[in-house]
Amino acid sequence: MKKLLSILSLLIVSAIVLSACGNKDESKGNQSSKKEDELYNKVKKEGILKIGTEGTYAPFTFHDKSGNLTGFDVEIAEEVAKRLGVKPKFMETQWDGMFAGLDAKRFDMVANEVTIDKDREKKYDFSDPYIQSGRVLIVNKENKDIKKFEDLKGKKSAETLGSDHFKIAKSYGSDVQSVEGFAQAAELVNQKRVAAAVNDKISFLEYTKKHPNASLKVVAEADNPAKMGLQFRKGNDKLVEEVNKALKDMHKDGTYKKISNKWFGEDVSPK
Amino acid sequence: MFLLNSIIADPGRLDDLLSIAGSSLWPMMKGAITYTIPLSLISFVIGLVLAVFTALARLSSIKILNIIARIYVSVIRGTPLLVQLFIIFYGLPNLGLTISPVPSAIIGFSLSVGAYASEIIRAAIISIPKGQWEAGYSIGMNYGQTLRRIILPQAARVSVPPLSNSFIGLVKDTSLASLVLVSELFRQAQEITASNYEFLLLYTEAAAIYWVICTILSIVQGRVEVRLERYTAK
Repeated sequence: MKKLLSILSLLIVSAIVLSACGNKDESKGNQSSKKEDELYNKVKKEGILKIGTEGTYAPFTFHDKSGNLTGFDVEIAEEVAKRLGVKPKFMETQWDGMFAGLDAKRFDMVANEVTIDKDREKKYDFSDPYIQSGRVLIVNKENKDIKKFEDLKGKKSAETLGSDHFKIAKSYGSDVQSVEGFAQAAELVNQKRVAAAVNDKISFLEYTKKHPNASLKVVAEADNPAKMGLQFRKGNDKLVEEVNKALKDMHKDGTYKKISNKWFGEDVSPK
Repeated sequence: MFLLNSIIADPGRLDDLLSIAGSSLWPMMKGAITYTIPLSLISFVIGLVLAVFTALARLSSIKILNIIARIYVSVIRGTPLLVQLFIIFYGLPNLGLTISPVPSAIIGFSLSVGAYASEIIRAAIISIPKGQWEAGYSIGMNYGQTLRRIILPQAARVSVPPLSNSFIGLVKDTSLASLVLVSELFRQAQEITASNYEFLLLYTEAAAIYWVICTILSIVQGRVEVRLERYTAK
């Protein structure tokens, strides 16, 4: 037993050591400009921008009827890659896997309607916001007790693990059940296994369009809309700068508006 | 040197990691104690009972029992556990059958153990020499008595190592329960990482806890083997 414990602590210590190393790599990038350019140069040299995304979050990133990856975020990311003069390579994984993948340098960027919030900004860099959306409180049509966010207290809600919707629900005292994505959350509200779900307004509208029989309704909308950005590891300022430039150009020449209109029928850029 | 530099450059980082490792240990252990271990134990016991009956059905001369047992084993072994859990949890409600997360997980895991373990038990029963059956019959025991008093105790001894394997496999498979809303050990790790993004540290910590649980189980296996030794005809 003693031996076991000592091996166990050794294992955890080595994980700590490795984690310490890992971060060092990135924080060093903050200080020296030479390191900053490294990822940008690598992307340019290889001609490939590796992009992490879920692929299960319509209408932002999902597969169309013929199985191709598409959606608003996918098209924005494709357009950004085009303007950087490289090919986009999408790599799909679950929401929490996306952040792990970005950390592990499996992708250069994440395009998945990631909300820019304080906690995330401590660990990651974001592009300028490229979308703004409301956050809504979704309940079953038959539900009569939940009318506002405050009513979530003590009620079960289903939220994507690690999403800011998760944090919002928790902050109102909800008993949060963590799920892998919006589709599961909607299903659970539908089946009345949870009372509510906090999620994005646009994705809710898209879901009800596709599932007109779903027994879901919106009872409240949060005051402060969420702003989303493309997400990067810290210390790659040059890449972020170039991506921001691409986003600006897209706004200027009307490409952004075209993509936004195609998916939402309106301009969803941050006001 | 690299590491030393990194710690000198950012001494707060090490403190952060240590405090994260420390504060996350209890939630994960709690996940293990409240879900991982009970889920494994309950499912294994139910699965084992199911397995004994399935094995006997496979060995019996009653054709219909034989066919049912074969189909059950084939379906469960031929489909991924993850898919089975999703069907039970997300699929069955469409047929009007809504089962809570923990019972859903127990049903899924028990069915899985039942199918795999039935093959182990069947093999163990077959491995007991025919002479043991004949010995039972010759002193006037019937099928049931011979099975219960002579064959199964010996078969139990033979099946302990492979059954322990199944059990250890089950302990780790319970991490799949996170996908049907059971916040077991690994889900706790994921939830903690979701806010601090320390993937390497917390996943390693979770791995270490699974490993400790499974090592303790291996020790128990050794004890059980020694104890069952006395039933074996040599």
